[in-house]
Amino acid sequence: MAESADSGMAIAVPTNGRSGSERLFLTSLFTGMVIWLGLSLGLSGLFSGMGDAGTWTVRLLPWVALAISALALTRVFSEVGGGLKFFGNRFRAHAIGWLIIAAILLFIAIAGQPLQSVFDLLGKSGKIIVRFCGEHGYFWAACAILIALGLLAIGVRDPSVAAPGRMERTFVQKLTAKVAAIPMALVAIGVFTGGTLWTVVFSFTNSKLLPVTKWVGFDQYIRLWGESRWIISIKNLAIYGVCSLVLSLVIGFILAALLDQKIRFENTFRTILLYPFALSFIVTGLVWQWVLNPDFGVQQVVRSLGWSNFVFDPLYDQNIVIFGILIAGLWQGTGFIMCLMLAGLRGIDEDIWKAARVDGIPMWRTYIFVVLPMMRPVLITTLVIIASGIVRLYDLVVAQTSGGPGIASEVPAKYVYDKMFLGQNLAQGFAASTMMLLSVFIILVPWAYLEFGGGKNKND
Amino acid sequence: MTDTTLASGPAGPKPKPAFSRRNIIIYGSLIVICLYYLVPLYVMIVTSLKGMPEIRLGNIFSPPMEITFQPWVKAWAEACTGLNCDGLSRGFWNSVKILVPSVIVSIIIASVNGYALANWRFKGANIFFTILIFGSFIPYQVMLYPIVIILREIGLYGSLTGLVIVHTIFGMPILTLLFRNYFTSVPEELFKAARIDGAGFWGIYFRIMLPMSLPIFVVAMILQVTGIWNDFLFGVVYTKPDTYPMTVQLNNIVNSVQGVKEYNVNMAATIITGLVPLTVYFISGKLFVRGIAAGAVKG
Repeated sequence: MAESADSGMAIAVPTNGRSGSERLFLTSLFTGMVIWLGLSLGLSGLFSGMGDAGTWTVRLLPWVALAISALALTRVFSEVGGGLKFFGNRFRAHAIGWLIIAAILLFIAIAGQPLQSVFDLLGKSGKIIVRFCGEHGYFWAACAILIALGLLAIGVRDPSVAAPGRMERTFVQKLTAKVAAIPMALVAIGVFTGGTLWTVVFSFTNSKLLPVTKWVGFDQYIRLWGESRWIISIKNLAIYGVCSLVLSLVIGFILAALLDQKIRFENTFRTILLYPFALSFIVTGLVWQWVLNPDFGVQQVVRSLGWSNFVFDPLYDQNIVIFGILIAGLWQGTGFIMCLMLAGLRGIDEDIWKAARVDGIPMWRTYIFVVLPMMRPVLITTLVIIASGIVRLYDLVVAQTSGGPGIASEVPAKYVYDKMFLGQNLAQGFAASTMMLLSVFIILVPWAYLEFGGGKNKND
Repeated sequence: MTDTTLASGPAGPKPKPAFSRRNIIIYGSLIVICLYYLVPLYVMIVTSLKGMPEIRLGNIFSPPMEITFQPWVKAWAEACTGLNCDGLSRGFWNSVKILVPSVIVSIIIASVNGYALANWRFKGANIFFTILIFGSFIPYQVMLYPIVIILREIGLYGSLTGLVIVHTIFGMPILTLLFRNYFTSVPEELFKAARIDGAGFWGIYFRIMLPMSLPIFVVAMILQVTGIWNDFLFGVVYTKPDTYPMTVQLNNIVNSVQGVKEYNVNMAATIITGLVPLTVYFISGKLFVRGIAAGAVKG
């Protein structure tokens, strides 16, 4: 129904099964593109274990996909019946556009190497262009030519008789919007999906300084779980996570409830409670490092007041250092949770309060037994936000303790960074980050199920 | 809280006693909590205005007996990280050089994305969008190295341009969500009327959507300015010591193991780094809250 907005010419005439071959054409074309993208991201190494023949098979795969789509295209030609008409073709302009793109790509493919010095004059963008020379250029040029031919094939259809086919819907309708969304598509596919898969795959290799494809199975994971530093990281994250989750929910809710009492100066209070959230974790960590400094900070101040045996130096005590970080983390984040909760509280119907008052239920009981269950959507979202923030815990630790004393306050994110960029043990870092990914999935999948799976109860 | 003693006049419902037990508990606890939240800021400022001899005397909470701005000058222009001794100013300007293009580029791309998603629903768009939203929960660590490879391949690894691209990528999910939700709330009749009048994709974007959605652009800007300024991980991974952003440089200054620790200089440096997001926060006020809640609550 979204299409009806812009295809005025669409008349409901069955497409006579044409879209079958069009679908094959498009599917194999896009499959080929995705495989090609994956291979250029470095996934080709996956198959190096199969020897030369295997590598060649894999490198041929996208070309095979293009060949299939070319075959499908010939069927489209025959089905349309009108043949290939360039003049008097509805989509001539579109086809010309694609042919121009193909020509540019071909030019780069052929002339890229010999003209490298010319392209180098363009600086960074010249380098990117040269990356496209050779096989890359040929492949994408082939794709563009196939699309142009496909458009020429379907362009002879009489739009007043035939409904827009699959190809027209893909390459003609809302074309500008699609072109504008290319960055999003590239990021979603190339970085978020491709990058994640890449990391997971390479966690099964023996990469040290550079990613290599020497497969070692689960060795990296076995080594990971055998390292005391990783175990400590996990324990720390678990303690920090549970405490931070519970405390920030409780504190956030209490603060929100306090602010919800129709008080004066609500804005002032909120501004004060929320300002730490504007500060970076680095700043937060450094401030609390100073406040908790045993020689000058809280401990010293209390001692100078008379309790000379007072001990409070969480940052220098291995057993409680994670709680020192927790204090800083809560200081920074609870204001934000409070804001989310407050938004949730404000969404509660005023009549609920009146009803509760009529029934004589005390306020705190109304909050806990009536309002809290009603805030379920907000609570779940808040929970997911806190949880995904906890897994990322990194800057705060770096600034506050640098993982010390010793390795007592290490966290997984720091482990990953240290292994990847300082320890020159890439695969360990990949394995550790894959474990982090796994833990996020454990949080995320139930949430996604609740939010999108169980009926359409979204407030959007 | 002297103002609470002022009765609000005869208008309105039955006046409540200003010093009821309930009010004292509520305001009392709020004030205590707020003091707790303010203490670190106070300590930061007070420490940065003291001289080192005074700090060694002990109490971090006591106000400075003798106010000196020397630590601020030193933090800005002289503090050392490694071999460089030109203070935080280098990091500050690096951060500015990262911030401005990152904010502009990421907002342009994300607003166009959000507009395409909200008003030009084409097939397959929602798949990308779902991936993007899920991607925003994936720990960054998983994607760090693949991006290093991509940047190295196109020759941008270690440059400020590379970092701008990274910020654009990781700002995309939240900003796209923000813009998509906003553009969805624009009445569809407006969009249809413009279509009938012959406006195309860009025509509608520039003539209708853009002028109508200035507030959301401000919200996005606040979100990005604080987010990018406060970033540490991407700065440390994708830049070189010469181009380190301010947060990274601050951490290096304060946590360097060599030399005598100058706590006043450290605190001055910390304040200077926190100043930009704090200014944005205090000026923007309610829009800041809206910004952080917009992406979060609506999903």
